[in-house]
Amino acid sequence: MRARHAVAAAATVILGLTGCNANPTAPAEPSGFAKGGTLRILSSSTEFSLDPAKSQSLAITSSGLVLRRLTTWDISPGKPPAVVPDLATDTGRTTDGGKTWTFTLKDGLTFPDGSPITTRDIKYGVERSFAPELGGGLGYHKTLLDGGEAYKGPYTGASLASIVTPDDKTITFTLKTAYGDWPWIVSMPAFSPVPKASDDPANYGKNPVPSGPYRITSYTAGAEAVLERNPAWKQETDQVRTAGPDKIIFQLGQDTTVAAQRLVADSGDDKGAFGANFVPPAQLAQAQSNPSVKDRIVTSSPGALAYLVINTRRVTDVRVRQALAYASDKRAYLVASGGELGGSPASTLITPGIPGRVAYDLYPTTDPAGDVAKAKELLTAAGQTAPKLTLLTRSDGQWSSQAQALQQGFARAGITVEIRTEEYESWFEHVTSGERDDYDLTLTSWQPDFPSANGNIAPLFASTEIGGGGFNLSRYSAPEVDQLIAAATAEVDPARSGALWAQADKRILQDVPVVPLIYTRNSFLRGSSVENFYIGEYPTYPNYLKASLKQ
Amino acid sequence: MTRVSKRLGGMILVLLIVSFLTYVVLIAAPADPALMSCGRPCTPDRLADARAFMGYDEPLIAQYVSFLTGIFTGRTFGSTAAAVECAAPCLGYSFRLGAPVTELIADRAPVTFSLAIGAAVLWLVLGVAAGTISAVKRGTLLDRAAMTLSVAAVSAPAYLVGLIGLLIFGFTLDMVPVSGYVPLTESPIDWAWHLILPWLVLALISAAVYARLTRTQLLDVLGEDFVRTARAKGLREGVVLRRHGLRNTLVPIVTYFGLDLGSLLGGAVLTERVFSMPGLGSLLIDAFGNADLPVIIGITLFSTAMIVAANAAVDLLHGVLDPRVTHVQKGIFS
Repeated sequence: MRARHAVAAAATVILGLTGCNANPTAPAEPSGFAKGGTLRILSSSTEFSLDPAKSQSLAITSSGLVLRRLTTWDISPGKPPAVVPDLATDTGRTTDGGKTWTFTLKDGLTFPDGSPITTRDIKYGVERSFAPELGGGLGYHKTLLDGGEAYKGPYTGASLASIVTPDDKTITFTLKTAYGDWPWIVSMPAFSPVPKASDDPANYGKNPVPSGPYRITSYTAGAEAVLERNPAWKQETDQVRTAGPDKIIFQLGQDTTVAAQRLVADSGDDKGAFGANFVPPAQLAQAQSNPSVKDRIVTSSPGALAYLVINTRRVTDVRVRQALAYASDKRAYLVASGGELGGSPASTLITPGIPGRVAYDLYPTTDPAGDVAKAKELLTAAGQTAPKLTLLTRSDGQWSSQAQALQQGFARAGITVEIRTEEYESWFEHVTSGERDDYDLTLTSWQPDFPSANGNIAPLFASTEIGGGGFNLSRYSAPEVDQLIAAATAEVDPARSGALWAQADKRILQDVPVVPLIYTRNSFLRGSSVENFYIGEYPTYPNYLKASLKQ
Repeated sequence: MTRVSKRLGGMILVLLIVSFLTYVVLIAAPADPALMSCGRPCTPDRLADARAFMGYDEPLIAQYVSFLTGIFTGRTFGSTAAAVECAAPCLGYSFRLGAPVTELIADRAPVTFSLAIGAAVLWLVLGVAAGTISAVKRGTLLDRAAMTLSVAAVSAPAYLVGLIGLLIFGFTLDMVPVSGYVPLTESPIDWAWHLILPWLVLALISAAVYARLTRTQLLDVLGEDFVRTARAKGLREGVVLRRHGLRNTLVPIVTYFGLDLGSLLGGAVLTERVFSMPGLGSLLIDAFGNADLPVIIGITLFSTAMIVAANAAVDLLHGVLDPRVTHVQKGIFS
């Protein structure tokens, strides 16, 4: 989940539905990748740490500039996301149906000191991600690797037996059970090489040993991080990074409004800058209405799923949940989310851009505003013509107004919804800890961490994800669905696993533990000298690895 | 001597109370910092590991005691080769930023101090000058204009004034840089250049308060018998104003000034944010957004210390400005 981003996503846009000609997602074929210049990236974040163990960074953003992984993502305009080899020669080989995976490193890969990048460095990098001292990163591998649950990292002197490096070039992972998406898992930050001799756990993130085209050359806490070329990186070993700019400066702690204003103004150094955050609503409206700025807005295609969670332990009658699906006013929700630039109505759990997605709508209505008559019919059948429900939501961003949009929609069908708001952190604890199950409904959004339907479904609907920090907020537990998830997870063949996930998608929505509302869209601004700045079908964030500057 | 030690004791007691309350309120709050740094996906085991490592598995009182002792002896989190050291005076450790809170505060304080002290000098000069002119020219158009302007400035939100200032002087006229901070030691000129607009914004808002205060006080004082006497003695109006008028308005102004400056030294949240200055205020706001409790507690304590210190300084100054005060010292706990 990208919950923090989801918060920001909601805050992004509040435009009317009229006259917003969203930028097409697929720009013209990228021109040549010019070399040279200084690229500036304006970010509201005040921290810049590239410790691979602690990172939740997408493969195509900041950490991808400095750190290579075994595999990475090929994100190109108008094409579905693909997993491609990065340090490895291929995306992994398995001989036992997805339980054991072997990778071989490419030739000629070195660290800046000239020493070769070896599989021991990868193994060590993965091992240190298990240490509680280095928590907070993407940790899908921690539950997948055999023996991972009991392993506490290399600092206690132990090593993880399920990662074997027979020689400097070969690495084999043994999983607990077969896992077809393992090639995607090894594209995550923890699968970057970390030379043991250079590991300084508390400070590694400020000066990681680079394997990608850039290295951090200076860092001013809270203000600025400067990246310059890593001479040891060789273009011919890398099929996704174009390494255009000579220098990349992350300007941190930038107010998003001021940053957007700077990009609108497009003067001086800001011509070669882009914003890492969503453009705030007012500036987006301003930019849209200004022809010279409009071309510099890049809007993603529909991505993250914003959805209404129904607590199945409290709203137990499936007919009531179906009634909620029919009574949901997705049109009003979309308006509260910024209109056309905010997203488009949703009906499936697997999000657009994810390979294998099948479009369908189990609760079709002629109008996205819902079908009130149908909802009333179902409520009558359930013997609950005037249910009273509580909706727990966040106080930040657009969540409150989105909740009100739904509340009014439900009122049409005689459903009374009481809205309770909490600060983001409290809300997060409330819904994920599983200790207080006192809400009937809540609102959230989800974008998978890797472009597989697995990431859309397993974290939200597997019964193992209830409470304890898990994100099954519906408290949904169906043995049949758990089995489907297990089968789809184990499947190595993408076509077959895709079909199983699509089946799970439909099967889950028959029980209506959630109501898909919209697929959200994000907008970003760039300066006039920035080229090759685009967003693929997934994720809804720009690809930093290919951005270059007009020379 | 006893008065000084009493005073110090009082200050320490205030800090203790504030630290305890902050601790209780934040740790008992539903946001769970371990949950925020458990990673994704999070499992109950990993969550328990994170809690234990961060020290949140202890009872509340034990946590507070570790926090207090850490200030004097330093702390170590974890027991392996990756254990995190937080040297004394340790105000906690931000696991999110990977740095001791004391170090974070020391890093960011120069930014906030530059901002606060510069702005304070400006607003004091501007405010007292405007208030004096208003008082002397009471009832004139100038007086009314100054006071109307000050009402508007007092009610203006800092973020908005900052944004408007940026739009006019930064983006449209391109006279000042629109964001960032340059350390004084690196280039004093660039330092002032980057700070001039934030100073003016903060000064404009606060100067209004001082202008109104100065005017009211000065008018009161100028109506007193001793002023009439001074005038009757034939003193020039300028001397009356300076020696008898302004001198007697200084006590309330210094009181306000001390407290305002003290609270600003703990971070100017909105101004720092709008001008993208990496000061204590932006550190705090960021900590709130990420449930970074050690940072929130550390900065709260630091701000409290600043206010308490400013309070003490004000009391000392009172003695200098008004000899009557010296013997009836009204400290907080004396």
